[in-house]
Amino acid sequence: MSWISFGKYRSCRKRIIFGKMPSLMRMVNFRLSYNARRVALALAVILVLGFLLLPGQLQTVFQAVGSPFGWIISWPLQAVAGIHDRVAGVWGQYVALQGVEEDNRHLRREVDLLKEQNAQLRESAAATDRLVALLEFKKQALPTLIAAQVIGRDTGNWYKTIILNKGTSDGLQSDQGVITPAGVVGRIVKTTSSTSVVLLMTDPNNAIAGLIQRTRDEGIVEGTTHGSARLKYIPLLSGARPGDRVVTSGLVGGFPRGLAIGTITRIDKEDEALFQSAEISPEVDPNRVEEVLVILPSSFPTEGERLGAPKPKS
Amino acid sequence: MKTLTYIALIAGIVSIQSVLLPHVSLWGAKPDLGFVAVCLIGLLGGELEGLLVGLVLGWAMSLFSAQDVLSAAVMKGAVGFIAGLAGRQVAYMSPALLVLGLLILSCLVGFITPFALRLSAQQDLWWALWTIVLPQAALDAIIGGAVYWLISSHFSLEQWGSEYRM
Repeated sequence: MSWISFGKYRSCRKRIIFGKMPSLMRMVNFRLSYNARRVALALAVILVLGFLLLPGQLQTVFQAVGSPFGWIISWPLQAVAGIHDRVAGVWGQYVALQGVEEDNRHLRREVDLLKEQNAQLRESAAATDRLVALLEFKKQALPTLIAAQVIGRDTGNWYKTIILNKGTSDGLQSDQGVITPAGVVGRIVKTTSSTSVVLLMTDPNNAIAGLIQRTRDEGIVEGTTHGSARLKYIPLLSGARPGDRVVTSGLVGGFPRGLAIGTITRIDKEDEALFQSAEISPEVDPNRVEEVLVILPSSFPTEGERLGAPKPKS
Repeated sequence: MKTLTYIALIAGIVSIQSVLLPHVSLWGAKPDLGFVAVCLIGLLGGELEGLLVGLVLGWAMSLFSAQDVLSAAVMKGAVGFIAGLAGRQVAYMSPALLVLGLLILSCLVGFITPFALRLSAQQDLWWALWTIVLPQAALDAIIGGAVYWLISSHFSLEQWGSEYRM
């Protein structure tokens, strides 16, 4: 009797496997077994709910877990970047040489101009050194820099970022400033063990404390949707004008004082506004950056340390 | 084997998306290969595969972007799940219809994204529509349609899809 029952059961199973089953059963004929599917769906739902209820904590966990995962993905990423660089190198060195002569002539003129400016600046630097020694100012330490290569750009369209080939294993962390010899590029917002994401200065979501070099007025430099930058919160009585250079003020972490940000191209004053703002042409073209320098955090004194904060009385 | 294939696909998509695609931009917006891949996986593999691959791909892409993990993973997962649900309802889909479907879905995701990301006040919905949402949706639809056409001309899609649509 039991043998016959087993046979019936087996034939039923066979029918289900080959799809010959009642119409109701067809609704639940999944590729995975029902249990595995239920567990996977439950995990996905828990994950999504967790993200919604504890976004901060889960993001930290996923960022930490993502570090080795990012290291694995960075290998094909760096391989593709290497191939891309070689192709771009061949193109740039052999194919896209049109107009080089004109560029050369223009650059020679610029070099002559810069040589003259350099001589003037050397004089100024020597004078500054003498004055600093005279006033016994604490000597400002030069920041320690780490060189990194740009291997990619943001995977989405909503942010303007670049990806560097160095990460936490090289000492890079979030909020560190990124520069080139020409000026400020942006700041690190995310890291894995072998890569870092740098939010560019020209992104509207970035803000850097800036200073107009001539008038010493401070403000906040924000990116714009047009790919340039804007200095906001300039006092109404400021005598800033187009052509003035804007540098970092050193008030907020990431950048020491005096790094070039850009040049003012236009001043905007609105009626009854409390502040004026200025459009800035960035010193560094972020679309053409290939190598950058990352400023290590405690390598330069803050403004408080530099000016010597008063010690508490014992 | 399938898991390894998906991991390789994710690694490949992230690499191509961040290194090569910035050169293939339309009015400054580049296509989202992750979105296209998740849609096709959901459509052909079912809602569960679409959801899981979408969650992992969104997470992996967020590691190389300023976008937060939450919005990236949940949106890609939701796209995969919706594509899987849509795929369950259709027996055959022409590449032209898929192009239209991808265009609409990409536009919808593009409209939701600015709210999820809490972007700067400069990046309003009107700006997002003309500079990111529409160009990206157009590129996503074209690439998705082309990939679907290539797959359908070389493989039997009915056989793939019939397994989970039963």
